[in-house]
Amino acid sequence: MSRREAPLNRVVLALSLAALACWLWLPLGSIAPNRIVLGTAYSLPEALGWPLTVASCLPLLGLAVMAWRPRRPAYYAALALTLLLLMALPLWLALMAQRHLDPALPQARVGIGAAGWLMLFWLSLLLVELRTRLALAGWQLGLGLVPVLGAWWLTAPGLASLALWQELAGRGEAFAEALLQHLLLVGGAVGTSLVLGAAIALAMRQNPGVERLGFALLNFLQTIPSLALFGLLLAPLAWLSARVDWLAALGVSGIGWAPAFLALLGYSLLPMVRNTFVALSEVDPGVLEAARGMGMGRGQVLRRVRLPLALPVVLEGVRITTVQAIGLTAVAALIGAGGLGTFIFQGLGQAAMDLVLLGALPILAMALVADALLGALARRLNRHTGRTTGATP
Amino acid sequence: MIELKSVTKRFGDETAVDAISLTVERGELCALVGTSGCGKSTTLRMINRLIEHDGGEIHIEGRPIREFDGRLLRRRIGYAIQSTGLFPHWTVARNIGLVPGLLKWPAARVAERVEELMVMLGLPVEAFADKYPAQLSGGQAQRVGVARALAADPDILLMDEPFGALDPITRQGLQAELRDLQARLQKTIVFVTHDMDEALALADRLVVMNAGRIVQQGGPLELLRAPADDFVASLLGGDDRGLKAAAITRVGERMLPLATRPVPSARVPREATLHQALAVMFREHVERLAVMDGDERPVGEISLRRIVGAGREGGGEP
Ligand SMILES: Nc1ncnc2c1ncn2[C@@H]1O[C@H](COP(=O)(O)OP(=O)(O)O)[C@@H](O)[C@H]1O
Ligand SMILES: [Mg+2]
Repeated sequence: MSRREAPLNRVVLALSLAALACWLWLPLGSIAPNRIVLGTAYSLPEALGWPLTVASCLPLLGLAVMAWRPRRPAYYAALALTLLLLMALPLWLALMAQRHLDPALPQARVGIGAAGWLMLFWLSLLLVELRTRLALAGWQLGLGLVPVLGAWWLTAPGLASLALWQELAGRGEAFAEALLQHLLLVGGAVGTSLVLGAAIALAMRQNPGVERLGFALLNFLQTIPSLALFGLLLAPLAWLSARVDWLAALGVSGIGWAPAFLALLGYSLLPMVRNTFVALSEVDPGVLEAARGMGMGRGQVLRRVRLPLALPVVLEGVRITTVQAIGLTAVAALIGAGGLGTFIFQGLGQAAMDLVLLGALPILAMALVADALLGALARRLNRHTGRTTGATP
Repeated sequence: MIELKSVTKRFGDETAVDAISLTVERGELCALVGTSGCGKSTTLRMINRLIEHDGGEIHIEGRPIREFDGRLLRRRIGYAIQSTGLFPHWTVARNIGLVPGLLKWPAARVAERVEELMVMLGLPVEAFADKYPAQLSGGQAQRVGVARALAADPDILLMDEPFGALDPITRQGLQAELRDLQARLQKTIVFVTHDMDEALALADRLVVMNAGRIVQQGGPLELLRAPADDFVASLLGGDDRGLKAAAITRVGERMLPLATRPVPSARVPREATLHQALAVMFREHVERLAVMDGDERPVGEISLRRIVGAGREGGGEP
């Protein structure tokens, strides 16, 4: 077959070879007798023996072969193999735990090694590449991930000794509470900044003086490092709560949720105001002229033309703000605002990396989910306006 | 009927429209022509009060427009612009039904009217009603724009370079359709364009503007025969003027009854222009053509001398 017909897919090849190398040489996991002691790392052959190791490598080799002759059926096969590898990922850890965990040590725990994390990383990149090649929609990819989650769920009982799991088991309630606090802070800050941001953007459009002042202030706010902003709010809020009773009753003080909320709001306002302002300003003047020329009033133009056309760009602002706030709220734990950041800083303090992960992984997941959902919503709203769909002659 | 009486508009120190007076009769298509920036759009937009005039008076059907509420006035006046201004988030059908909707027509009547207009403008309902503007070609979008302007059956139509962004073939097609439409609907139309050929092809009357003032107004042939000054003459294409006059005069208007001599073998339809007749003469190397009616029967004849003489008022010798 000529090379032009089936050019080598370098991305799939490189990713599968990188995954293979990591998988074989880096530690799959570690086993520690208790929480504090550093564990013993096991590479794949050490943990499972050569026959299983070779078996686990076969799908990766398969992927590398597919990359050689990439046609549509080959891409589907590669997708199946990638999903299979993802499904099997926790299985190897469970097998390792089963073989090497000393039943006499109930405190013993299994840590996920570099090979495990990197494998997850390479496989995710492979999914992205295959999705593009096969032009899959988001929901199609989501459907493919259902069996993966199912397999993970089935493997979970074998991983009771996973360190991450044990950190969570000891903190079930605290985790739920931290998650809720995190979501509330993010939701509150984003929601408030949306309402406030829209109002400010509208005011800026009315008056160029307000526009200059507003952007100067918001840009300045954005340049203060987050920790410094939390610190700056400490004194005035402490002063306020000492003097105003109902504020103190609400729980407002120099530390805790109040300064965190205000700082988050400050950071969220700039992207929100900027996007709303740009969205409202960039509506095609021809469309607005026609709207007025047809006899629509100011209010009608705003509600039926300006806002609907601005909405996708506003949503883009909500997306940026949300993802940013999810990350920033982690820092807010430092001033006692709660949230998942608490685990990160506790874990850092105790040199317990699994506790850090217990905080960091859900934050990562939240950011990814928020990004994907809000992005999809914006694309959906955009589908008619020609910004994503090209004009057909 | 639209009357402008020494209407003036200033933007800061600049006078965009300078004391212009103009009457557009009922059922007339009046073209405002002039170079870019001479105040055509401003004049048009003062008529539907998108812009308020500073001085003078504008009357519609004898009443000063300041007596009307601006929004209600605009709902009674059709408006079509070069960029179409179609709402990108609305379907074609919804875009066309905009003004009837604002006028609170019942939904069934709006739907019926939208279908009627789509048929009138050559937009098959099945294929286009549910499309979005981004899915239309330039010509199709402009048809939708015109349909939207006509939706509430206004007596007056204001058009601001509606075909200015289209390729020449599409533009000429739409010009021809507008002519047919106007022959049937007899709207009072003010049509802004910087394209003199478009104005000559469409207008009953041309109003030539320069730097906010009216330089000359009159019928197409009137202007071609006697441009008021060098500016108008150059707008009309200088030495091409004669040919342009020939291009807007029909053979039927100039032909003579068939003489007893043998009927010329070269022929031209009665609906053709003198310009086309000249082309046939060049091609066939003759000086006389038989003029045919729709059923291919000779109904008259036209000669080169007659065509050349037709450039002057009163025509020439047979
Ligand atoms: N809203 C406005 N503000 C200030 N100047 C304007 C405005 N609209 C038009 N003008 C000025 O008025 C003059 C006439 O503009 P316009 O009527 O749009 O010209 P045309 O349609 O003939 O090209 C131009 O010099 C233009 O710059
Ligand atoms: Mg203009």
